[in-house]
Amino acid sequence: MSTTASKRIESRILPAPGCASPTVALKVAEIADVHAQLRAAIRGLPPAAFAWQPAPRTNTIGMLVAHVALAEVNLAQVVLLAEPRGHTPDVLGLTTDDDGMPIEKYGSTPPAVLAGKDEAFFQSLIEKTEAHTFAACRTLREEQLGDEIARPPRPDGSYRVFDRRWALHHMVEHMAQHLGQLHVLKRQWKAAQPAG
Amino acid sequence: MAGRIETLAFKAAAGRSAAAMTWLAHLDDQTKLLAKDLEDITPAELQWQPKRGMNTIGMLLAHLAIVEVFWLHVAEGHATEANMRKSLGVGTDDDGMPLPPAGTPPRGLSGLPFKYYLNLIQRGRRQTRRILKGYRDVDLARSITRTRRNGQRQRVSLSWILYHLAEHFSGHYGQILLIRHLYRDRNGKA
Repeated sequence: MSTTASKRIESRILPAPGCASPTVALKVAEIADVHAQLRAAIRGLPPAAFAWQPAPRTNTIGMLVAHVALAEVNLAQVVLLAEPRGHTPDVLGLTTDDDGMPIEKYGSTPPAVLAGKDEAFFQSLIEKTEAHTFAACRTLREEQLGDEIARPPRPDGSYRVFDRRWALHHMVEHMAQHLGQLHVLKRQWKAAQPAG
Repeated sequence: MAGRIETLAFKAAAGRSAAAMTWLAHLDDQTKLLAKDLEDITPAELQWQPKRGMNTIGMLLAHLAIVEVFWLHVAEGHATEANMRKSLGVGTDDDGMPLPPAGTPPRGLSGLPFKYYLNLIQRGRRQTRRILKGYRDVDLARSITRTRRNGQRQRVSLSWILYHLAEHFSGHYGQILLIRHLYRDRNGKA
């Protein structure tokens, strides 16, 4: 949370209210802060900016926003809520394939489902994700954070085991990584626009 | 035969403040993954600029080390250029950031191997670890007022500093991965 009054900037990170666990309350505050940074980073961008590729085989800003929303909702469902499988369409109206990532797997072009989408669409993805994550976090208790959540086996027989602490950590670092990339893409997109 | 298990758990080391140690664990986790991702990177790639005015991976790595030491010095109330050099052996501006629009990487980073940057980050981290182990939860609410180079007054809490270091590290880590992708793409490596 940052507030600015004239030339003074105040930055704090305070545990979010309404959480059963103090650890989760702090993580929710971090997630909210990165969401706020993400919302600010895409504010004012036209639809063309969300679909712009700096080079072939590179992700677009729209793909990155869809990806972080899908990843967070899916992780909340299968780890925080320990549901047997993710069901992102119920929250976002998108499947986990709709971000078109990794791009090499989908023909190296942005996904058609994101074509022409505007800022309001991407802002709403972040808002829906945040509401879903916070609802999943609210009732988590401290003693549940180290529980082992085993996912169904993959075709090769291997399977993943998570704990909720890792999921909350991953939500923050994963989103922050892609936010960093989004800033670079945004700068490149701005530089590529005709002067005037 | 039982399937292979990939375990993804996150546990902070013991300390006086669980929150402070969790942010330290975030930094350590990201540093470990970053070191693995960059284990084969060459000095040529470290100093490669996608275009004029854009940061190199080497600049970003130096920046990560410098920023971590800088903010901990702010937290401890002794953020001076002399202390930066004493702590890290480099100056606050030696990352060359922010680059001007058509800027090129700083000469001081030319030809350096990844080991140099990793040592720099680890040198700073040792100090971070020592300081954070001593923090109690009550310390994290303490605020510091500082004046930025542009004259802006800034009031920050210790908890914000530690959180910021964690998300800042991850943000630049993501950019490093993006630059690697661009480098490999331009040089025909899948």
